[in-house]
Amino acid sequence: MNFLAPAFLAGLAAIAVPVIIHLIHRERRVVVEFPSLMFLRRIPYRSVRRQKIRHLLLLLLRCIALALLVAAFARPFFERRRAGLSTTGAREVVVLLDRSSSMGYADRWSKAKDAARKVVNGLSSGDRATLVLFASDASVASEPMATPDRITAAINAAKLSAEGTRYGGALKLASQIVAASNLPRREVVLISDFQKIGWANHNEIVFPQGTTVTPVDLGGGASSDVAVSQVTTDRDSTGERDRVTVAARLINTGGATKQVAASLAIGGRDVQTQRVTLPASGVLQVAFTSIAVPSGATKGVVHITPDSLAQDDALNFTIAPDEAVPVLIVEPSSPRENQSLFLSRALAIGDRPSFRIDVKRVDAVTPRDLDGRALIVLDEVAPPTGPVGARLRALVDGGGGVIVVPGGNRTETWPVEWRSLLPIVGQIVDRTEDAGGTLSSLDYAHPIFEIFNAPRSGDFSTARFYRYRALSLQPGMTIIARFDDGSPALVERLVGRGKLLTWASTVDSYWTNLPLQPVFLPFVHQLGKHAGRYADPRPSFTAGDVLDLSRHGELTAPFLSGRAVDSTTELVLEAPSGARERVTATGANHMITLREQGFYELRGRDTPVGSGRPIAVNVDPTESDLSHLDPQDVVVAVTTVNKQNPLGSETIAATPQDQEQRQKVWWYLLLSALLLMGAETMLSNRLSKAMSS
Amino acid sequence: MTAPAQQTTSYLDPSVLARIGNLELLARTVVEGFINGLHRSPLLGASTDFAEHRAYMPGDDIRRIDWRLFARSDRHYVKEYEADTNTNFNVILDISPSMRYGANPEEGRPSKLTYACYLAACLTYFSSLQRDRVALATIDHDIVDYVPPSAKHLQLILHTLDRVDRKGRDAKATPGRSTLLAPLRKLSETMRRRSLVVLISDFYEDPDQVIDALGHVRGRGNDMIVFHLLDPRELNFSFSDASNFIDMETGDKMPVIPEYLRQQYRELVRQHTDTLAKRMGESRADYAVFDTSKPLDRALFAFLGARQRFSRVR
Repeated sequence: MNFLAPAFLAGLAAIAVPVIIHLIHRERRVVVEFPSLMFLRRIPYRSVRRQKIRHLLLLLLRCIALALLVAAFARPFFERRRAGLSTTGAREVVVLLDRSSSMGYADRWSKAKDAARKVVNGLSSGDRATLVLFASDASVASEPMATPDRITAAINAAKLSAEGTRYGGALKLASQIVAASNLPRREVVLISDFQKIGWANHNEIVFPQGTTVTPVDLGGGASSDVAVSQVTTDRDSTGERDRVTVAARLINTGGATKQVAASLAIGGRDVQTQRVTLPASGVLQVAFTSIAVPSGATKGVVHITPDSLAQDDALNFTIAPDEAVPVLIVEPSSPRENQSLFLSRALAIGDRPSFRIDVKRVDAVTPRDLDGRALIVLDEVAPPTGPVGARLRALVDGGGGVIVVPGGNRTETWPVEWRSLLPIVGQIVDRTEDAGGTLSSLDYAHPIFEIFNAPRSGDFSTARFYRYRALSLQPGMTIIARFDDGSPALVERLVGRGKLLTWASTVDSYWTNLPLQPVFLPFVHQLGKHAGRYADPRPSFTAGDVLDLSRHGELTAPFLSGRAVDSTTELVLEAPSGARERVTATGANHMITLREQGFYELRGRDTPVGSGRPIAVNVDPTESDLSHLDPQDVVVAVTTVNKQNPLGSETIAATPQDQEQRQKVWWYLLLSALLLMGAETMLSNRLSKAMSS
Repeated sequence: MTAPAQQTTSYLDPSVLARIGNLELLARTVVEGFINGLHRSPLLGASTDFAEHRAYMPGDDIRRIDWRLFARSDRHYVKEYEADTNTNFNVILDISPSMRYGANPEEGRPSKLTYACYLAACLTYFSSLQRDRVALATIDHDIVDYVPPSAKHLQLILHTLDRVDRKGRDAKATPGRSTLLAPLRKLSETMRRRSLVVLISDFYEDPDQVIDALGHVRGRGNDMIVFHLLDPRELNFSFSDASNFIDMETGDKMPVIPEYLRQQYRELVRQHTDTLAKRMGESRADYAVFDTSKPLDRALFAFLGARQRFSRVR
């Protein structure tokens, strides 16, 4: 037995305290003069002796309790030296094979496969093996109870992934497999290049006691790589044809200067090539001259001279014009003069995004007018009923936005189904006498106003609101802006996947001078982007990313034009490998994990192959960082016993603190001491009663 | 007990008496108060000169023939009367170190020795009123002081008792256990007339040795009244703390946990007093155990009762 805090054992000297007190007590015993001890001496000695023995028993109990207490504070523990490890019997072997992009460096992948095959070939009869392939996530590649031949076949069939390296998932999966095994010996073989970027200390991962972790390190040594890490595009649509200027960022992780040829390919054809010299461990920006590009989305690739790691030698991207946000402004049948002018003109300015604006009078609107619209503005008109109303509701449920401006409209006559979705519109508040109200409370955390949060980023205080409608909120609504009298100015409600926004004043200068203020333009742009679910287009994705089509209307819009955006419209997503997948813009199938490097193609069911919207996917740029991790760091982290679940390791022994914390002997000692003290109290009470009676 | 007797009893409380410095005053206070309290006592009703009838013998004075009895029985009987003579009253007081035990100034309780001095003084004063010759002997291992019998020695005895009491309070323990045998033997040799002997002691001695010692006094025809004085703590052993007990006579030490020994100690004391009472009854000595916390009148009752008894049988 060892002690974690042996200094506390000095407290054992406290055992002497009761004895010393006893002795001192004897010395200080009161002296009583008594006439004669004649009778006292006649009392049989054995009677006194028996009392003393009882007293000694109590003393013994107290001393033991004190000793246990001291021992508990000294935190004892029993040292265990890897007890229970078995060296014979069948093995449960888990082969973790790294197939991340960085394993494509030189011949690492073939070596990794060889190592995996070697492990499988070394299996004895009765051994059981599982092949786990991992990159950013891990999956079991062999069937349960697979024979070595089948596992070898799985190894041969394994392919490199474009994803990054993450060890956590693979180790977790391996720990679950070995934990569930009933075989006496457990072994995990980790075959990887031990890329440092993929390791985070996963304290929650533990292997059961006796598990042997064997790293097969294929990395290390001097490695050099040149990668295309980033591409930026600048599209110019001002001329007759759109022109794009492409710039690429090249990284040299090697220790030597490298000369490479960087080429820009548009539409599958190299259009420019530049020869550049990269400094050792340096970065270089390569700018290509602007080129004319087609009006639609076009594939672009910047690639360099292939080196040891070919996966990051090319970077794919798409050059696509910004998709305009289709907006429909619905006016009353007899609108005021220039009622929608301010709004339509403000939205028409700018190209990121650009708004495609149509203005229609309410009596001329048909259900088809709503197809493909991202945003509908009901400018002082009642929400439509009938087929148009149903279509509008479907548009909102599918993710579209509606901005309702009640203005002077009589809201009592509005359809009940819309009134339940909108705030209760009250009387007109006339502020003309006090020079108009102002916007006093804006929710700067809201996407509409967040750009105005910074200093000198827009002044709403100069805008005067002479009239507006008093709005009363219903459940589920949020106030985004208030007037200075506390009345809501802008109210939002989420309906289905879409948004309903209600503006209390007008969008022209009839009730307010806001359209005449500088903040009006950015305000309506923010309003339109937010309500129309606009997202900045991404030129490329990274392997492993999840593509949410419902958030990328610019990808699906070309194939949904003239149709309702709903969950039933099926699209086809074709991977670079040719694998096809049915997806929807919304609904259950709108999220897809992009795993392959290259160009995916999204198209409608009737769209010819090659005419779809390309989606560029690249390898994880972090894979270019070939910094090496010491395999023992991983082994130590997953086999150390400083975890909730104790385990053993071939290489690392548990620290005394760990063993003490795990065994918790002090707790039992403390409990025993308390029990003894309780027994001592009971015994002494009983003896006292017996003696005094 | 009647109401005046109760008042007297409370007046005779040892703690009250302890405040009276003068022994004579104390003795007078006690005895006179006691006699006043006893005026209605039935014990005094039997106080008469007539003793018994005896058959007429030739030579007897015919005036002493009881003619009334002759008329009823036709026989001659002579009336015997109490001798109208005084007697010797000897007080033997044990002043051994053990008798100094029991002084408790906080409770106003006197030591056994002080109590014994009160008792001796009262009894002597009482006897002196009867015109008896009073004597006092204080004993330890041997006779310490001796006041020979005389009707005029009351003041001397009281002075001696006072000196003994004061000396006893300041005295250091002298090693060695005192015995009654040697002093009583010597005293018995000095008693030439039949005497009423009062022995006051705590009797820390074997009962056989005590009876043996008393035998020397009793054998000479003396009447004996034995007062066994014990402090309440000697009777009850009401100690609580574990203590070192020192024998006041021998100086021996003994660690004692009172609660362990109390029961057995009480039993031994009871056996001791029972044995003494039985053995002294057999040797016709009057024996009484006195708790020094109790009033003195009990002792006086015992003395008077015994004295009356002795006078009858004389």
